[in-house]
Amino acid sequence: MLSYLRKRIIASALPLVVVVIGVFALARMTGNPAALYLPLNATETMREEFAARNGLDQPILVQMAQYFGGILRLDFGTSLRTGQDAAEMALRAFPATLQLAATTMVIAILLAVVVGSAAAMKPNGILDRCSSFISMTAASIPDFWLAIVGIWVFAITLGWVPTSGVVGAAAWFLPVATLVMRPFGTLVQVIRGAMVSALSEPYIKLARSKGATEYRVIGQHALRNAAAPGLTVAGDLTVGLVNGAVVVETIFGWPGIGKLMIDSILQRDFAVLQACVLLTAVAIFVLNILIDLGYALLDPRVRPSAGARKRRKARAAQGPTQGSDQHTPQLAAASMAAQSPRGN
Amino acid sequence: MHNRITRSRRIPLALAASALLGTTALSGCSVANSQEAASGGSSAPSDTLRVVLQQEPPTLEACESNLTSTGVVIRSTITEPLIERNPTSGELEPKLATEWSSKDDKTWTLKLREGVKFHDGSEFTAADAVATIDRAVNSKLGCNVEGYVFGDDDLKLKEVDDFTVEVTAAKKDPILPLRLSFLEVVPAETSATEKVREPIGTGPYKLDDWQAGQSINASAFADYWGEAPQFQKANYQWRSEGSVRAAMITSGEADIATGLSPEDNIGDLGVSYPNNETVALRMHADKAPFDDIRIRRAVNYAIDKESIVASLYGGRDKAAAQLVPSGVVGHSDSLPVWPYDPQKAKDLVAEAKAAGTDVSAPINLVVRTAQFPKIQELAQVIQEQLTQAGLTVNLKMLETSQHLTYQVRPFPTKEDGAIMLMTQHGNQAGDAAFTVDQYMTTKGAQSAFGTPELDQLIATADASTGDDRQAAFEKVFKYQNDEVVQFAHIAHQTGMLGISKSVAYQPNSSSGDELRLAEVTAAK
Repeated sequence: MLSYLRKRIIASALPLVVVVIGVFALARMTGNPAALYLPLNATETMREEFAARNGLDQPILVQMAQYFGGILRLDFGTSLRTGQDAAEMALRAFPATLQLAATTMVIAILLAVVVGSAAAMKPNGILDRCSSFISMTAASIPDFWLAIVGIWVFAITLGWVPTSGVVGAAAWFLPVATLVMRPFGTLVQVIRGAMVSALSEPYIKLARSKGATEYRVIGQHALRNAAAPGLTVAGDLTVGLVNGAVVVETIFGWPGIGKLMIDSILQRDFAVLQACVLLTAVAIFVLNILIDLGYALLDPRVRPSAGARKRRKARAAQGPTQGSDQHTPQLAAASMAAQSPRGN
Repeated sequence: MHNRITRSRRIPLALAASALLGTTALSGCSVANSQEAASGGSSAPSDTLRVVLQQEPPTLEACESNLTSTGVVIRSTITEPLIERNPTSGELEPKLATEWSSKDDKTWTLKLREGVKFHDGSEFTAADAVATIDRAVNSKLGCNVEGYVFGDDDLKLKEVDDFTVEVTAAKKDPILPLRLSFLEVVPAETSATEKVREPIGTGPYKLDDWQAGQSINASAFADYWGEAPQFQKANYQWRSEGSVRAAMITSGEADIATGLSPEDNIGDLGVSYPNNETVALRMHADKAPFDDIRIRRAVNYAIDKESIVASLYGGRDKAAAQLVPSGVVGHSDSLPVWPYDPQKAKDLVAEAKAAGTDVSAPINLVVRTAQFPKIQELAQVIQEQLTQAGLTVNLKMLETSQHLTYQVRPFPTKEDGAIMLMTQHGNQAGDAAFTVDQYMTTKGAQSAFGTPELDQLIATADASTGDDRQAAFEKVFKYQNDEVVQFAHIAHQTGMLGISKSVAYQPNSSSGDELRLAEVTAAK
């Protein structure tokens, strides 16, 4: 497992560098921040002084070298807009986004597992059709519209929750409810599909014939095998949220990284933008590793175990043999089906 | 054996799930990057005045107070200037300076108010006034107010005694007191080499804390030299969405919301006020068809300003004939708005075509996305009306940074087509010099072209005082409309504040840039 992690970290370092260089170069191609930070009637001397003060008068390669030098010293530069440390601004905003993303995903996954599994019990039944309609709708509603309607209904008309802000537990309701919709809708579809397919597998019939309770059949056998596609999609959805739920953060005044990033882009606040991108890139990289580990926990076929390595080495020492050292899905399914009853 | 494996698989999964749930539960009430106790929120006591702004101030540095988002919080609330311009009458009034005079319009003597204290308890003296001016105008800090009001020239400063200051401009400057009204006074100890995010001022409210990303809190300053404000505490929050700011007013979560429009569903709680902003089209005469003055006149005749104001802006705005609204020195009440005469526009285009002008050459109407309410609809109406007149207009919607490359010199030269820029100009200084110097002179930062005659008229106006100054600027505006026609003016705009039923406040033309909290009272 450690060597697997080491390989992943090394493999991810290059994309991180490319992302940082890309953001650095692209941001600078979008215009000179002097126009945004100086009064419109600023003189040429003032513009030159601004550029010199912020190192923008240097050739782009020199600026880039200075930036990378700074990163190595953990100095990400200073915000043009606020004069504060860029890394500090990004790090202060990020936890608020993570909280929002985690809460949203936990609720979305739990709801989707319940609704998706229930729908899969009787494909094309009433429950299935209803869940299909609800999930499709949930996945298609634009955040912006939902947020504004939510404010109108729950904050203004009913007065149950505040319109926006971060004060009190009630302030979580609208942002989370708005954000949950899309992941919920998408995951219900995925889990329902995977469950329908899992429930038709022979090992389920075997489990039922051995007298396992329906709860056990679904929870222990079907759901476990249907979880992998759900995990993949949930991972992608989480990555999207960790990147900053820009619309929701903007509307509800949530002090997260999405809002900070979009403000930095509009204000050409390069240092903050770069710090935000680097931070989210690292977070997404960590998240991807966690998802891979989650895979390994769910599915022994993708687990890089010591035993498998030893077998591969031994086989390599014996010379080429016919067949594969990987379990085929059928073999794995059969072996699980054979093992499962013993677990009951 | 198998049972153990199954359990061991289950444990990490269960652990992960409960860790995630635990985090969520723990985070259920408090958001990172926020401190609840400090914030006003919906349960704020009635002695707290709650204001919701469009955006978080980038800084509260006093020498950046001409930035709208900074000034709206600090000006005349946290900090105060030496001299203050009355936004309604346009007159200069005493604040931390009680009187000022000059014999030659070059050296000005200011008498300072005695008995004024800074929020840190220190006394305000001439040393603080000198340090404030020196820091904002003469230092290398790169203050926004320096570029906006003073330019490259430094001021010579002298402490005559503890409460008298002498300020000498590089050349004659009859409006130096007006320029000084942009400087918010800070103590002499304030760093002259670094900007300060949280200033110490002399204003009716002192800054308590700033929760970055969330709110700013202030409280009434007990030793304030003037009348004590009615609300003991003030809380600023910000929401970029207008409808959310409006909802905060209607749901009682905030008392004052800035930057609203009627589309935000604010209803009767929206109070409109003239905000000194004027919308106009700037035509660049370096390319056909704008190199022909007949086409520039045709544009003015082709746009139905009255209908635009009535249908898009509910009749609140006012059709404009010049770049400054009434209340600004130099505004001419007698200058007529170009009449809407589509036939005349067509005739002028035909005349220009007959004289050899390429009237089919493309015109790029450059517009900044979301600069003000309904800007896109306005641009589409203009595009349609100019097309009716026989011109070819392409609409180019750009975000702020890109739009600025068209707004300020040097202008793009490789543009495929003639440039027509939609500009929104606000003259908060109250004197037309701040407008015409940059919008109408041949080399003005925001002027596409000019004429030597107009430059001369502007130079004369800049140097004159009193009634002569008013008359001279009126002449400048008339000359632009008759002989230069760089602009097609659209409308003088209005702003809108949301004001809850629990407070009383009468907005004025500067409320968007300088929201004086001390003037807000509890509703009777």
